[in-house]
Amino acid sequence: MSVLGKKSTGEKIFDVFNIVLMCLLTMAFLYPVLNVLAISLSASSPVLRGEVTFFPRRPTVKAYENIFTNKYIWRSYGNTIFVAIVGCVLGLIMSSLAAYPMAFGDFYGKQVYSFMILFTMWFSGGLIPTYLVMRKLKLLNTYWALIFNFLAPAYYIIILRSFFVGIPISLIESAKLDGANDFVCLTRIVLPVSKPVLATVALWFIVGHWNSFLPAIMYLNDRNKYTLQVVLHDIVLQASGKLYDIDAAVHAGEGSMVIPQQIQNAVIFVSLIPMLIIYPFLQQYFVKGVMIGSVKG
Amino acid sequence: MEVTGVERQKKISQPKVNHKKVRAKIWADRYMYLMILPVVIYFVLFHYWPMLWLRIAFYDYKILKGFEGSKFVGLKHFKSFIQSPDFLNIIWNTLYLNLLSLAFAFPAPIVFALLLNELAAGKFKKTVQTISYLPHFLSMVVVVSMIKNILSPSIGIVNSIMKNMGMEEIYFLGEAKYFRPIMIISGIWQEMGWGSIIYLSALSGIDPELYEAAVMDGAGRFKQVIYITLPGIAQTIIVMLILRIGTLLSVGFEKVYLMQNAYNLSVSEVISTYVYKRGMINNNYSLATAVGMFNGIISLILVSLANSLSRKYTEISLI
Repeated sequence: MSVLGKKSTGEKIFDVFNIVLMCLLTMAFLYPVLNVLAISLSASSPVLRGEVTFFPRRPTVKAYENIFTNKYIWRSYGNTIFVAIVGCVLGLIMSSLAAYPMAFGDFYGKQVYSFMILFTMWFSGGLIPTYLVMRKLKLLNTYWALIFNFLAPAYYIIILRSFFVGIPISLIESAKLDGANDFVCLTRIVLPVSKPVLATVALWFIVGHWNSFLPAIMYLNDRNKYTLQVVLHDIVLQASGKLYDIDAAVHAGEGSMVIPQQIQNAVIFVSLIPMLIIYPFLQQYFVKGVMIGSVKG
Repeated sequence: MEVTGVERQKKISQPKVNHKKVRAKIWADRYMYLMILPVVIYFVLFHYWPMLWLRIAFYDYKILKGFEGSKFVGLKHFKSFIQSPDFLNIIWNTLYLNLLSLAFAFPAPIVFALLLNELAAGKFKKTVQTISYLPHFLSMVVVVSMIKNILSPSIGIVNSIMKNMGMEEIYFLGEAKYFRPIMIISGIWQEMGWGSIIYLSALSGIDPELYEAAVMDGAGRFKQVIYITLPGIAQTIIVMLILRIGTLLSVGFEKVYLMQNAYNLSVSEVISTYVYKRGMINNNYSLATAVGMFNGIISLILVSLANSLSRKYTEISLI
């Protein structure tokens, strides 16, 4: 729309200013991530002198050698992948089951049913009562606590419902005349045409589980069951790498010392890899999801 | 007499007919009910059962003794929370952090979307957008670790720039006065790009003919922004603003908790971290639940207020 008409000098100056500003912002968005990578790959002396910014200085992979042999990090990685995948699959199933009756149902109690779901967006039992329920159900120190804690958020159900509402109801009615029940309609008609929104919600589940920290510190107390964010927190922010047999001093040799900062940043970067791979390819789905969410049915 | 008799007959027989119809309808919808069954069980167990547990706020709840062994104390925990010296402080910390974020972090994605909109469509614009979403995908643990890197007196870029300019180095995380600016600036960094999506989609919905007409009238780009672009997204801005009101008394737990240390506790203790510490660390479940419930009820009032405001001014009900 800015190509219409001739540009005045002021507008040209603005364009240049805008492009420069956007370049600076892009650098600001990227800097912390590049900095993590650069520190993890640099030798210790440039790190300690504060010389490492965008790019590694005197590159070395010592920090990575150090953590790749660490069983706690691998295990927490595996644990997180397990929770993310199981949580995502079960979450998708439960959210679809919840959304279909809201979109196509015309049954007694539908109002109550919808209210039951929507009300949880406004009010919840909160931290401690939820914890006590998990305790009562004997789910403490199991992954089920993490999965049930984030199984069918009302917001995701609404997103799915908004998408389902756009599917012609005649498709479902004619299938029912052919003797199909609602489960068949959901799996054979609704879900196949809802791939974009299912992809969006699936990714929200995966990213949500991957990044979640509070439920993990609340519900897990066995170091072998910890998820990645807990281990990351202990190593980086509590500087208690010793808990996980990460001890920089052990690997300190002549002139090739590995300092905590290198190891910490290597762990951060390793934890980021799946997100960095996922997000550029799939951000379009996320963007679509935000837009579906903004157009409430 | 006859009429009333017929009427009476109707009154008696009507429910019978309805009853049959109802049963037939329920039977016809049996798969629907089967479908909502697991959902209802899940919501009852994991959302509504915890709400029942809120009653421990009125007991001196002992986890090993259950309700039978615990004493009913009425509003004791609410009173002791409101009368405690922490009360005003943590409410203020929570509210102030939100007000600062409303003043600075709320407009950031709007400005960013407007500036992006002024870029010619193409690779550059797409790249900037894609990169701007990146921080949204990072966990709070990672974000706080990055803040620690950047602000570190020994290895961080901020202090090394300051040293080059001849200034004293500062341990930013060790001083309470820097806590709020760090929270807000990093919050803008995290959500500016992602938050702009909704405004960009509103911007793409503006009729291009409006701009053409404005150019005919000799309006420059600045005037186009003021008279066409901004009014075009005003509705979206208002809805987002109203939504934000509902969350004025809630601050996400994770980032604040991870940023907290002994030096900044006076400004960084918010409701959610207070609840966590009282409940999960001190095992004072009843007090923690009372505080959480207090917060939940105020938030519920704020959200209902926001919803009715929205219904009134934008004809959009948020739920």
